[in-house]
Amino acid sequence: MSFLRVDGLEKKYDDSFVFSHIHFSLEKGEFVTLLGPSGCGKSTLLRCIAGLTQVDDGQLFIDGVNVTDTPARQRGIAMVFQSYALFPNMTVRENIAFGLKMQKVPPSEQSKRVNEAVELVELGGKEQRYPSELSGGQCQRVALARSLVVRPRILLLDEPLSALDARIRKNLREQLRSIQKELGLTTLFVTHDQEEALTLSDRILLMNNGKIIQNGTAEEIYTEPADAFVVRFIGNYNLLSAEQAHQVLGIQSQKQVAIRPESIYVREEGRQYPEHVRHPVRGEVVDYLLLGNVIRYRIKVSNVELLVDLLNRSSERLFPAGANLELLFNTHEIREVDEENSAIG
Amino acid sequence: MQRPNSLGHLSVIIIFMMVMILPLLGTLLYSISTSWSSGLLPDGITLKWYTSLFADHRFLQAMMNSVLVCLGALLLTLVLVVPTAFIVFYYFPFLKPFMNFIILLPFAVPPVVSSVGLLQIYSNDVVTLTGTPWILLGAYFTVALPFSYRAIANNMANLNLQDMLDAAHLLGASTFRAFFTIVLPNLKTGLMVSLFLSFSLLIGEFVFANILVGTRFETVQVYLFNMKTRSGHFSSAVVVSYFLIIVLMTILAGQWGKKQ
Ligand SMILES: Nc1ncnc2c1ncn2[C@@H]1O[C@H](COP(=O)(O)OP(=O)(O)O)[C@@H](O)[C@H]1O
Ligand SMILES: [Mg+2]
Repeated sequence: MSFLRVDGLEKKYDDSFVFSHIHFSLEKGEFVTLLGPSGCGKSTLLRCIAGLTQVDDGQLFIDGVNVTDTPARQRGIAMVFQSYALFPNMTVRENIAFGLKMQKVPPSEQSKRVNEAVELVELGGKEQRYPSELSGGQCQRVALARSLVVRPRILLLDEPLSALDARIRKNLREQLRSIQKELGLTTLFVTHDQEEALTLSDRILLMNNGKIIQNGTAEEIYTEPADAFVVRFIGNYNLLSAEQAHQVLGIQSQKQVAIRPESIYVREEGRQYPEHVRHPVRGEVVDYLLLGNVIRYRIKVSNVELLVDLLNRSSERLFPAGANLELLFNTHEIREVDEENSAIG
Repeated sequence: MQRPNSLGHLSVIIIFMMVMILPLLGTLLYSISTSWSSGLLPDGITLKWYTSLFADHRFLQAMMNSVLVCLGALLLTLVLVVPTAFIVFYYFPFLKPFMNFIILLPFAVPPVVSSVGLLQIYSNDVVTLTGTPWILLGAYFTVALPFSYRAIANNMANLNLQDMLDAAHLLGASTFRAFFTIVLPNLKTGLMVSLFLSFSLLIGEFVFANILVGTRFETVQVYLFNMKTRSGHFSSAVVVSYFLIIVLMTILAGQWGKKQ
């Protein structure tokens, strides 16, 4: 049985829905990411799960118990905020101990658990500092320790890394993931950054306009996008209208067609291609971008521009702008997708 | 970057200091001179004005009255304003513009006008507050309100109130507990600014004190006014003493604030 079950949650402000028909569940120890563009309702959903905001309809179960009407502080849920939400008048140590103090944990036990938490987030030596004396990354570690020290049943994180700069963000997210694995914490992580979601999660819930569009592993979301929104949001995909698909590939489709840049090949003389690599067309290189081990070409086929990723092998020559090439398509990777469903309700 | 013109900058500061401090020094000098009428400097130095001032029971009483009524009004203001500001900011943020408007109302009516109104209302047979310190307490609340509310509201706007309280709730604190352990300690700056501003404003207040209460509960300003027929040296001694007492209280409050 799933550890957290969200069953038909619905929330509206002044008659306009923030989200509706939200169904999903988390297994114990799972790290799930709630991914979606800004304003799609992620924070509101998280706050509803935490009990900080009232839902209008639907139910919430933790470990089989209905907690829909349970007050926030009795749900055993901890939350980390984008703004850190540390208490500026308290030292690192006092911040971390706050939850234990509220739960009237005996002082000796408090001090032991705070020490463990400080150790876990690698903040040794900073215990007596105030939040104003810490960097953003350190603040977020304190916030994490403060949430973990009370041993929550579920950890919610609302864009915890978004306010940090790239290098610290990457560092901290790996650390977060390893702590989560070590403690076996059931975690729901909110982000609008698809790269963060794809690299971190056991599973991704993709949200748009107050609806969960797709629920699957990073691999599934990347290779089997549910609709045109997912294709656009995950990025880099070639998305062709039915008409363009006919023009380029010669296929008849009622829907839009999505093609990943790495599933398009440049024909090389004398090389044998498998049966499913077909649809030869000629195109002209517009320009290219070096992305480390990959070169991303923009190639114009009739009047359609395609992104094509080729491995950057030093032996292989670079195709200059204007070069005329023959392209082949991996038909297994051609996806027909529905237009995004933008209506809420 | 251009090299700062230090001479120019310094002279601005010196002029400013002179404008601020010279009158005070003049008053101080006048209060310790035997007489000062003909020359550039006083004729002689004496402490007799101070001895007669501090021997005057009425002055000590007035000073005490001033401090008491000011502190009372401040206490009343804080007890009412802090929870109100918290409730507005946390529960009803849409009321903020309305609050900004009503706290400006005391500015709309000059003290002379409103004190005449207050005299009318509170001198009837049912409620007689005029002539007692209580009406002054109320009037001073309205004087201190805009400054206190602004200082505290600015401080509160700089706190991440929503997230901080959410975090506290999830960690097991009630709103009541969170208010005292998290919100209040973080309002220290606002509270200090509001206390200093309001205190120095109220202790120098004359119009309300004179019209509403007069000699029945004499404050320092009213005492000073009533002593206007005595020597100017004596009045200067009152002003200097009053100034020193304010400085002393400010330092004490500052020390207390640092200790917290
Ligand atoms: N307290 C509120 N009152 C009215 N509308 C709100 C409130 N909170 C959020 N919303 C609306 O709900 C939508 C989703 O917001 P949010 O959950 O913060 O999105 P996200 O976290 O995905 O960026 C937004 O359109 C926002 O304007
Ligand atoms: Mg958000």
